[in-house]
Amino acid sequence: MNHRGFTAVGVALLLYVFAMVAWVPLGPGLVEVMADEQGQTQVIAHGTHFASSPDQLRIFAGTQDRLFPLAFEVVNDHRLLLRPEWPDTLHKRSLDLYVQSPIDGTLSLGNAFFVENAVLVPAHRYASVDVLDGSNQLGFHFPFQPQIFETIRNLMLHVPMWFTMFFLMGISFAQSIRHLGAKTLGLADERAVTSAQTGLFFGIIGLVTGSLWARFTWGDWWVASDPQLNGALVTVLVYAGYLVLRAAVDDPVLRARISAVFNLFAFVLLIILLMIFPRFNESLHPGKGGNPGFNTYDLDSSLRAVFYPAVIGWILLGMGMYRLRLRMESLSRRINRLEP
Amino acid sequence: MAAPRAFSMQRVAFLVQHTLRVEFRQGHALIGLLLFALSSVYAAFQSVGDDAGAESWNALIWIVLIFTAFNAMARPHPDDRPENRQYLTHVVRPLEWMLARTIYHWALMTVLAALVFAAFSLFLGTDHLVGGRGWWLFAGLELAGWALASCLTLLAAIAALAGAGFGLTAVMGLPLIVPIVLVATRFGNDLLSGLSGEETVENLLFLGALAGGITAFGLVLFPYLWRD
Repeated sequence: MNHRGFTAVGVALLLYVFAMVAWVPLGPGLVEVMADEQGQTQVIAHGTHFASSPDQLRIFAGTQDRLFPLAFEVVNDHRLLLRPEWPDTLHKRSLDLYVQSPIDGTLSLGNAFFVENAVLVPAHRYASVDVLDGSNQLGFHFPFQPQIFETIRNLMLHVPMWFTMFFLMGISFAQSIRHLGAKTLGLADERAVTSAQTGLFFGIIGLVTGSLWARFTWGDWWVASDPQLNGALVTVLVYAGYLVLRAAVDDPVLRARISAVFNLFAFVLLIILLMIFPRFNESLHPGKGGNPGFNTYDLDSSLRAVFYPAVIGWILLGMGMYRLRLRMESLSRRINRLEP
Repeated sequence: MAAPRAFSMQRVAFLVQHTLRVEFRQGHALIGLLLFALSSVYAAFQSVGDDAGAESWNALIWIVLIFTAFNAMARPHPDDRPENRQYLTHVVRPLEWMLARTIYHWALMTVLAALVFAAFSLFLGTDHLVGGRGWWLFAGLELAGWALASCLTLLAAIAALAGAGFGLTAVMGLPLIVPIVLVATRFGNDLLSGLSGEETVENLLFLGALAGGITAFGLVLFPYLWRD
């Protein structure tokens, strides 16, 4: 398959991905419980349909096994007014909030209330209500995640960048090994540098999309001491160093040999920095440093249906770009040979 | 004349001696390194004073160690001149040369790390190093020094072959030493924030593993660089 084939399939997949990213709605969820100006307790929700069936809503506070119902009033689709009357005795001071609705299913918000004055008792007299069976009646939607909210769409743009970079750097690594194994200056060196350049491009986009995501979920454009961030930035710098090294040597044979050695070193560092280090360090990233990964329970079937095509699409587009650049190189070589 | 076929430890020992002899013959080289290390420590001392907090103490000592290492490893060595290298490729095996250079740089970093540590204790004080933590930190500095030496030896060899100097080693090296710096600063932070050495010993082992791994990698790769 030539560069056109890779690019065509990649772009087709990415068109599907972008369409899904733009149009699939976010599922319902509870954002926060807050006191408004009149001192009333309000529940703020996102993507919910409270107003369409206010009579069938049920609201509870407590923990999963010990719940008691709360009185409430529906303000609009995304807003509830609570009238909590806390009993004198509770089994826990910090309580979760559960909202059960026929359309949105069961929504929960951990540690929504903190009841200061309650006397704690080990026994309890609240009826245990089963709220866990509520499944929603909504169409295809992305899952609601606390903190992440609508930015979950960035999953299709940010994460595949690193997959694509890994893939292209892997090609570069393999071609560098091939070059060191071969005796003469073949195409391997050109393939190594071209794939590294393309991979670097995806790495830079990965940094930018990651920085944007960090701004909206962690509150800052760049977070110090996150091993994944350090690793990503350093990897980009190392490959930039690889290109600087190539620019520093004029003799093509020497350049190929030296940069191949550095490239092997760089790829091993990339593995250490992006795959080994983050597992031993505290990180804000999902799946690292004790944080749950997207694929454990967050990456549900609706995300999968877009995420996997996104990964394949970006990798194919990366391959297409890499092949296109190779073709440009070989054509410019041919032109140089034809010109006197 | 082709390079010798068998690996010989004697030639390695000779190369180490030879490198040292050339350095001494140059005179200013080693003294310059010591002066650089001392004046960096003094500049650090001037910037924070003698009652530096644990965090600044820790940050500064690693920064000084890194720059000392770069200064020691990335400077052009007389043996790296193309005509010298041409000669050496005929009389020693690349593995022997690389091993000798690594051993020499390890020895150099042992001395320089000890000097940095002593100067730091003298100027910036040892208030944060109570209860035997000084020895742990010293061990950490030495191991980090060896890891830096292993990494920068290969990079300096690459830069020398490329015909470029300090600048290229820095561009390639500063990102590559980040894993070492991360582990080392965390080790120092743990120690200075009150953990005992035993509690953070895994960072020390990690540093040792990095030093060993990078050395092995350099020894495997270097012969490819030298092939003509």
